[in-house]
Amino acid sequence: MMLVFCFQTLKAEESDASGRLLVSKQILNKYIVQDMDLIVKYTLYNIGNNAATKIVISDTSFNSDTFEHAGGQLKATIDRIPPGANVSHTVVLRPVRIGPYNFTAAKITYETGDESSKVQEAVSSEPGEGYIVAFRDYDKKFSPHLLDWGAFAMMTLPSLAIPFLLWWSSKSKYETLSSKHKKNQKD
Amino acid sequence: MSNKNKSSFTKEEELLLQDFSRNVSTKSSALFYGNAFIVSAIPIWLFWRIHMIDIYASLLSFIVVTFISTYMVALAYKNTKFVLKHKVAVKREEAVTREVSRKLSEDKKMSKKEKDERILWKKNEVADYEATTFSIFYNNALFLALVIFISFYVLKTFTPAVYPFYYKLYDSYIHIYIYIYIYIYIYIYNYIKGT
Amino acid sequence: MSALVRLAVFAVFLNFAASEGCTKPEITSVSYTTQDATIVTNIAFVSEFTFRCSGLPSDVPLYAEVGGSVFPAVHIGREKYQVSWTEEVGKARSGDYKVNVYDEEGYGNLRKAIRGNYEHTSPVEPLSTVIVNHPATYQGPWVNSEFMAAVLAALVWYLAFTAKSKLLL
Repeated sequence: MMLVFCFQTLKAEESDASGRLLVSKQILNKYIVQDMDLIVKYTLYNIGNNAATKIVISDTSFNSDTFEHAGGQLKATIDRIPPGANVSHTVVLRPVRIGPYNFTAAKITYETGDESSKVQEAVSSEPGEGYIVAFRDYDKKFSPHLLDWGAFAMMTLPSLAIPFLLWWSSKSKYETLSSKHKKNQKD
Repeated sequence: MSNKNKSSFTKEEELLLQDFSRNVSTKSSALFYGNAFIVSAIPIWLFWRIHMIDIYASLLSFIVVTFISTYMVALAYKNTKFVLKHKVAVKREEAVTREVSRKLSEDKKMSKKEKDERILWKKNEVADYEATTFSIFYNNALFLALVIFISFYVLKTFTPAVYPFYYKLYDSYIHIYIYIYIYIYIYIYNYIKGT
Repeated sequence: MSALVRLAVFAVFLNFAASEGCTKPEITSVSYTTQDATIVTNIAFVSEFTFRCSGLPSDVPLYAEVGGSVFPAVHIGREKYQVSWTEEVGKARSGDYKVNVYDEEGYGNLRKAIRGNYEHTSPVEPLSTVIVNHPATYQGPWVNSEFMAAVLAALVWYLAFTAKSKLLL
């Protein structure tokens, strides 16, 4: 019974000359780090038989006290997406607060392009829960720490070089003494 | 050292060996503890600046560990020195004898026994000096290499893998660091004692 | 069907008339690209620009062409547009990226040019061009410093160890 019903709706959509959008919202990060780029990419696929028009993407899921804007806008309008085409929209944000953050869906409204010209509402996919890492922790993992290593080298150098040189000078002194002696014996 | 070989030592060597006990003078003991303290404190910089451990939050554990470490490293110095001293004395015997004999050749008044004692004393001094400096160098090199290697490579297996989206970087591995730190000292101590 | 054709003809006529008028487009842009690639999987290129042209109605649909791919510019406000795309970290070269901006007519011609044979069509002139500069992509230090330190420390220890072995012979 359920199957039949599904089939019927599918068929109805196929014959229907209207635009239908599928919207994905992706976060293109391996890590989400405080004060560093967070790339959000929206991709809109028109899987309908007609162009979708007056598409409005509006993403209010980013709190203004947690995220700053770096590039791109979270509210955008696309005039038209032809059937079978896809359009992407990218926004770069910068998280300023650390801790877990639930990345929820963006809202989309559009006109399906058929006679009714009613406004269709849709939601994007949800990236899900993520964790905003403190910059300090990121730095620990990725920074080369060249100055810190240099200082470490300067600290360790005396404790290695001084005993080594003291030992080496005594060693070479007595080794030359004994080798001279051997040379003298040969001559 | 082992007792079974004792009979094979010459009289001279036995005399020498009396000076070769594990007991060290106050002066060299101070030298050992001073060096051990410096080399034990240096890794704090590594943990603070590069591993980014909040040392203020665990200042007491760092102080305690540094003192335990100082003791352990000083023991390692002593043990290595003890093992090396006899070998160095044998190696330097000829050269030291020549050096001292040349110096004393003008002095006709000195008896042969006195000369031999001078040689023995000098040989002991040279062997002590070389064994002490080399022991400090060797143990510092081993200790620092172990601290770097273990803190970066062994501990990496404790840090969680990168998940596609759920990526929290765990920041508090302080306990593991401290245990590893202590392990290094105990290891060095036992390793050196065993050789 | 005939209504659709009429509508299309009308649209073409309108755009033709409009673009005839657009001789001095005013365009100002701000761009942003991701430079630190240690934590991201793709490089984001974002260009926000305001576009005004006396011969065209305001907020006319615009299209952008970057490196052969064509996509619509997104409206982000009054006379404000955004063009954004992403590229894989390894493929994102540094330097200037030319974003050619077209109106509906130019877009149509461009699509025809891309679909058809290139030799038949003269290059389609864009209304304007926006430059997105991507200075460089930072992918982490070229050598791992802790690895260097470990190698150096191991080397020093090895030296000490061989010296010790010689002493113990």
